[in-house]
Amino acid sequence: MVEIKNLTKYYGVHPAVQDISFTVGDHEVLGFLGPNGAGKSTTMNMITGCLPSTSGTVLVDGYDIAKDPMEVKRRIGYLPELPPVYPDMRVRDYLTFAAGLKGVPRAERKSQVNTAMERLRITDVQKRIIGNLSKGYRQRVGFAMALLGKPKFLILDEPTVGLDPTQVAEVRKLIRELSADHTIIFSTHILAEVTAVCERVVIINKGQIRAVDTITNLENSLTTEKILRLKIEGEITKITNIINSTKGVQEITSVEYESSGVNIFTVKVDADDVRKPLMAALLAGDCMVLEVTAVKSSLEDVFVKLTGSPTRKQSREDAFQELGREMDAAREADERKNKNGKEDA
Amino acid sequence: MFSLYKKEVQSYFYSPFAYVVSALFLFVFSLSFINSISSMSSNVLKFSFSNIFYNSFFYFIFLIPLLTMRTFAEERKSHTETLWLSAPITIPQVVIAKFLAVATVFLLMMVLSLFFPLVAWWHGSVVLSSLICGYLGFFLWSLVCIAIGVMISALTDNPIIAAVLGEAAMILVLFLDNFTNTDLIQSVKPVAKVFEWFSTEKRFGAFSQGLFSLADLIFFLSITVVVLIWTIIIIEKRRQSRG
Repeated sequence: MVEIKNLTKYYGVHPAVQDISFTVGDHEVLGFLGPNGAGKSTTMNMITGCLPSTSGTVLVDGYDIAKDPMEVKRRIGYLPELPPVYPDMRVRDYLTFAAGLKGVPRAERKSQVNTAMERLRITDVQKRIIGNLSKGYRQRVGFAMALLGKPKFLILDEPTVGLDPTQVAEVRKLIRELSADHTIIFSTHILAEVTAVCERVVIINKGQIRAVDTITNLENSLTTEKILRLKIEGEITKITNIINSTKGVQEITSVEYESSGVNIFTVKVDADDVRKPLMAALLAGDCMVLEVTAVKSSLEDVFVKLTGSPTRKQSREDAFQELGREMDAAREADERKNKNGKEDA
Repeated sequence: MFSLYKKEVQSYFYSPFAYVVSALFLFVFSLSFINSISSMSSNVLKFSFSNIFYNSFFYFIFLIPLLTMRTFAEERKSHTETLWLSAPITIPQVVIAKFLAVATVFLLMMVLSLFFPLVAWWHGSVVLSSLICGYLGFFLWSLVCIAIGVMISALTDNPIIAAVLGEAAMILVLFLDNFTNTDLIQSVKPVAKVFEWFSTEKRFGAFSQGLFSLADLIFFLSITVVVLIWTIIIIEKRRQSRG
């Protein structure tokens, strides 16, 4: 079990992580979710003992990272954001060295390295120099390194960044496989990853925890009102009247044109069971309901809600910046063209 | 810790780096060897290596930063330090392992230079006491320089800057002796005494004459240890603020 209590880190006066507390039970997969620069890596560095905290404690199986770093480090396999691989070493040599560094007894090193390489499917590149490997393979070598020493806990800092979609799927599958005998904490800023792999999520933003819960709970808790999308054939005013007069309906938030005579109504209602009286009323009024969908708020909405969506002003500024960048690029291209033209002349 | 030491020693031989530096080392050594043989005027004199050591050290000292520049700077640059920071190994162990690795590589280079005394011994005779003490003094002085180089490497994340700063530190070490002998310093006796105590060249001179002194041995070793402790403190301090 990993217990994190009031963990805080200041870089000078700038707080990177403030008062974070959560626990990870055995055999759990915990997603650590947050936008870039939220303090994910800082927290993970503190859990693994790479970075001392300003205040607060991390207990791993009851051992305090500040007092018993050796015991804690023996229990943790850490894959940092940038895999710590030596580019001039060969894969097998590197893994054997890492096994030694992690205190794996000499007799077990070879078999552990072999198992880790098979698990990550890098056995066929074991003789190659790491610097010549692709990013995906380098990531896998780092992953294999984290598995050495059979750590009880695996801490993975953005394990899928920079990988192609097939590799991402592979890493996710691997995380699911590993969760059978490891407790895994992994960070990401990609939502789909969390839904694909984790049971529980910690959402963090600007160094503070915004939510710690299971995914389903999060999705449910943040939406008090339900939203229905109805595709209805008929006269708009008549339908609007019918909908508005039904009990339980709060308001019609939008009406979109679908095809002639068919419109999509987005309706805010109190609860799911308003659907029945609404249907009955619409049918009684001779309106053909072609489609009904309950709009569920996804984790994406939860995430945006918790981490703060960009304001209109910000997005306008972003757009201007984007435009400015494009114009700069265009100008540069022009200049280059002119220069080349002169040289040709 | 042994794994780290072994890997560090090996890392010098993955690239042609160690071979090139060794070649340069032997080249410099051979030049001063030729020089002193050519300048022998009388056949009666037994050939001694003290002068060669004494002369060539001024070149060797500048090779050491090349060996030490990568020790910590490279790790910071390529973000590999998380490997040993998250492994069950303490920072003092890391520093000692890395220091010993550089010392080992340097020792290997010195073993290569045994070629010259062997040649001399084949064609003449070698004053053994002077040779052994010369090598010993040479090695002890280089231990101090290696420790300084490792410390400077821990200060930066750029190996080239580590090398340049290392060279500057080596110049300072050599300069200290000349500075001690200036009239200005010698005119104030207490100050001169302090400077003399820290001047490595005089102590090395005694070794290269074939004189072994326990005080000098302790001097070199204790300076090495102090510098290594500083290195540990520097790394521990940097760890506080890494991102």
